[in-house]
Amino acid sequence: MNAGEGESSATTPLQLRGLEARSRLVLEAGLTRIDAHTRSRLNQARQAAVAAAARPSYLARIFGSLTSRALMPATGAAAAAVLVAAFMLSGGHHLTSSVADNNPASALDVLDLVTDDDAMNLMEENDSSFYEWAAAQGDNPGQGAAQGAGGETT
Amino acid sequence: MPATSRGGTLLNDTAEARSRALNQFLKSVELKAYKIAQAGLRHQDDALDAVQDAMLQLARAYANRPEEEWKPLFYRILENRIRDMQRRRTVRGRVMAWLPFRRDEDDEDLDPIAQAPSQDVPPVARLEIDEAMRALDAALEELPNRQREAFLLRNLEGLDVAQTAQAMGCSEGSVKTHYFRALQALRVKLGEFEL
Repeated sequence: MNAGEGESSATTPLQLRGLEARSRLVLEAGLTRIDAHTRSRLNQARQAAVAAAARPSYLARIFGSLTSRALMPATGAAAAAVLVAAFMLSGGHHLTSSVADNNPASALDVLDLVTDDDAMNLMEENDSSFYEWAAAQGDNPGQGAAQGAGGETT
Repeated sequence: MPATSRGGTLLNDTAEARSRALNQFLKSVELKAYKIAQAGLRHQDDALDAVQDAMLQLARAYANRPEEEWKPLFYRILENRIRDMQRRRTVRGRVMAWLPFRRDEDDEDLDPIAQAPSQDVPPVARLEIDEAMRALDAALEELPNRQREAFLLRNLEGLDVAQTAQAMGCSEGSVKTHYFRALQALRVKLGEFEL
């Protein structure tokens, strides 16, 4: 069973935006309550991760030194030749065409919403408030929450 | 200065800048990531392990990717790790149920000073926040996993729909639906607290 089923009809987008903003405040306040022991362990984990990123793996060290000393000039020239040949053959056409393909995002977004299984469940449950909410919703959570919850936005 | 030495210095500078950026990024997400992991796993050590694994994997495999890709990648790794641990715990729970002698992991002695909360919040506000946090935590615990993930990634971490979809490994439509259901459920559960 999905939590909250059966009471959705009483929910308005404005109420949900207010809930978003207030729960965000509580969650952010909760972050300040994380204890010193946990903070210390997170700090250690972070330092270990940064050190791991700076240290190349064993294989990378072996192959890295080989390529840098002996193979770098030859492989670099070969790679550059391949790239130039590929660009000449394609006429550089596909490099620019992908920009134009990005525009119909909003249409795809609507299609995505309509064809989504969960969204179809909401439709079958006759939950029109979802579509009302989705239409009012911007890309960022709590967008417009200022009207509903005293202006707490990030 | 010889050319090779100048090149080496440049490489070192770049690597140092990368390390600083990675450190800064991980510092900016670590508390939220821990909170998200704790909500999913409900166990402090498991949550810390999940965050640590996600940090290491991001650093080892994706540190050279553009910085704007780090956040969705990091949360994708973390969510996968949380799901793995949830699955493993389910299996372990089934096995442990058959064993005659077992020790509850929660019985471990904890250092009360180390467990003390941070003192950043004034004492008067602390009680109200405590109550609201308890109510919200309890309500979040009852949410299905995907709804909780969508809610925390969007509302606590502030990921947009596309980034949340990338982190959760689902479509943007699914993110919207999970998030909406989570909001509805939380409103029903938290109504009496006026949260």
